[in-house]
Amino acid sequence: MPDPAQTDKKCVIIGAGPAGLTAAWELCKADVPAIVFEKDNIVGGISRTVEYKGFRYDIGGHRFFTKVESVNKWWWEILSKEFIERPRMSRIYYADKFFDYPLKPANALFGLGIFEAIRCGLSYVTAQVAPTKPEMNLEDWVSNRFGTRLYQIFFKTYTEKVWGMPCTEISADWAAQRIKNLNLMTAVKNALFGSGKGKVVTTLIESFHYPRLGPGMMWERVAELLTEKGLPPRMELDVVRITHDGKRVVSLTVRGKDGVEHVETGTDFISTMPVRELVHALDPAPPNAVLEAADRLNYRDFLTVGLIIDKEEIFPDNWIYIHSPHVKVGRIQNFRSWSPFMIPDAKKNSIGLEYFVNEGDEIWNASDPDLIELGKRECEKLGLFKAADVSDGVVIRMPKAYPVYDKIYKNALQTIRDYLTTLPNIHLVGRNGQHRYNNQDHSMVTAMLAAENVCGADHDVWAVNVDEEYHEEVSEKEKRGQELTHGKRGGGDRLVPRRLDETDRLMGALREAFARYDAVALGGSIGILLGGSLFLATALLLLRGGVMVGKNLALLANYFLGYEISWAGAFLGLLEAGGFGFIFGFMLAKAINGTIALHEHALVRRLEVSATLDAIDEERQ
Amino acid sequence: MTDPLTERVREPGQAEWDVIQAAIARLRASVMAVVFGLCGGVGLFVATAWLLLRGGLMVGRTLSLLGNFFPGYSVTWGGALVGFVYGSLLGAAIGFAFAWLYNMIADLRDKD
Repeated sequence: MPDPAQTDKKCVIIGAGPAGLTAAWELCKADVPAIVFEKDNIVGGISRTVEYKGFRYDIGGHRFFTKVESVNKWWWEILSKEFIERPRMSRIYYADKFFDYPLKPANALFGLGIFEAIRCGLSYVTAQVAPTKPEMNLEDWVSNRFGTRLYQIFFKTYTEKVWGMPCTEISADWAAQRIKNLNLMTAVKNALFGSGKGKVVTTLIESFHYPRLGPGMMWERVAELLTEKGLPPRMELDVVRITHDGKRVVSLTVRGKDGVEHVETGTDFISTMPVRELVHALDPAPPNAVLEAADRLNYRDFLTVGLIIDKEEIFPDNWIYIHSPHVKVGRIQNFRSWSPFMIPDAKKNSIGLEYFVNEGDEIWNASDPDLIELGKRECEKLGLFKAADVSDGVVIRMPKAYPVYDKIYKNALQTIRDYLTTLPNIHLVGRNGQHRYNNQDHSMVTAMLAAENVCGADHDVWAVNVDEEYHEEVSEKEKRGQELTHGKRGGGDRLVPRRLDETDRLMGALREAFARYDAVALGGSIGILLGGSLFLATALLLLRGGVMVGKNLALLANYFLGYEISWAGAFLGLLEAGGFGFIFGFMLAKAINGTIALHEHALVRRLEVSATLDAIDEERQ
Repeated sequence: MTDPLTERVREPGQAEWDVIQAAIARLRASVMAVVFGLCGGVGLFVATAWLLLRGGLMVGRTLSLLGNFFPGYSVTWGGALVGFVYGSLLGAAIGFAFAWLYNMIADLRDKD
């Protein structure tokens, strides 16, 4: 690797979140001047801590837990004395009761009460006997494994709050990946008998480290270190344009609140700004296909209503999931449980009500006082505390908190990445920088690699965490101390649901409309029923006994050779009627399938004609 | 404007048609139970009622043999109602079992 100090390198970094500041500090350590531009007035990005009247608010809750040793080391180098160890506790709050998270069947069924438990049990049995097939969406997938009732209570509402779309519109493959190998029976077995000796048990972390004054403390400290080195992050400067010459990016133009523009040149550029905005800031503008691809990237936004309450204790959890469909709040953070140092008054408490929203929707656009009132009302409705207990409140909006993984994002992102390979000195890192649902540690890893690339290394920043397990899961083996290799720097990409699109729905409808009957299954089922029925009827008459037993039923011997009202005849009847039923069902299926094929063929022909006529019409216009 | 299906036909999309053609129908057990139950119950009621309306000396001698399997059933108006209940229950059970068996076999074969 060349010595960067000897190469007149200068890096311009867009964004003072975890990725931007990590890259800046890594470059600083390598003697490469790095200038950070941030459009907000606070550092830390989504990992910031917002202070209001001495109360500190963490946006979304950030546990400092990672499988990546280099990140862990980094955190401790920056904030060693300021870390406190906190127990993890988070539960589901539903119908005025707390339920364990992740769900434990015994806890869930006892907590719901006897009638609801019976209802859940019955719906589970129904789902096992007659599951919905094919499983097209999340609702089908979860209901088939847990029963409709448990799905409604513990999956539907929260998932819809977070992702802002009905579960019937979320692809089933997300659940299949996210809730691997788990169903109610397995869960009950595991609860009663354990999951088997020698098997690796995945579990959720039990404790984590946390900066005394919230995650923002980490990034405020990094900003201070950069300032001490003479490279303070430049705040409240919005990106106006990123100028390039077709081969390299040459400068960044930013504009302050006073409207004054400033141009910064550099040899390398690291961007953590949303990809959509980055593409539109490029000057000259990229081809239309790239601009259109950028417009296809979507985001989910986030809003926290912070409430100061005149009560010392509300609940012991770090946060609770709100499954009630009667309120809009999705999660409630309890900041005293995160760190008591975030609450300046020992007699008060502070919570953060999290609303998952879309920028510009009704909640996002509501005024701060209205949102605080909404938060107070909803907490009272949930039975957590009275609205009168709230002495103050604050609203914190976080646009583009989550990149949306819909069906089109992958192709759109690939188009943009392909284009950006023509500008090799711009490096995309971080959550929004890569349009990837990275956690804080993943974002930092991408920044570390990008910083090394600026110094001459050749890492593939996009290869970080692609195939790893979900970040929060840690096996017993790993808990005993086995770490991931430094080279891999894994940690796990988060799985995000994909919305079913028009094509999925169309394919589903077509598959249902033109589904063929399985001839063997139809023959088999009719055969079993027919053979079984004749056997039972014969057996019943034999058991009843009499002088002329089964005189009429014995007439079936006209069709089933050798059949008679005797035990041997019952078995012979079972075989012969079964065989007859199988042949009948098999042929019936073939006949139905043939008819379906004819209809399908006719439809295709009709559509071909219609498509040809459309094409002729278009030619004429 | 063309609809998505037309668009699909215009673009070859053979792979998608292959997927559609490979789809295996599933039977809804609840629907089959209702349909078979109705057929069984109404069928036996109508058969009994028809014989009663036609009348005669030895009315429904053969059909009344069902009493061997359905205790209480006979070719009378009361028996027709009893037959309706038996026919419905047995039909529903057969319908449900039929769909369940079919889906189970189809699933097993699908896994292979």
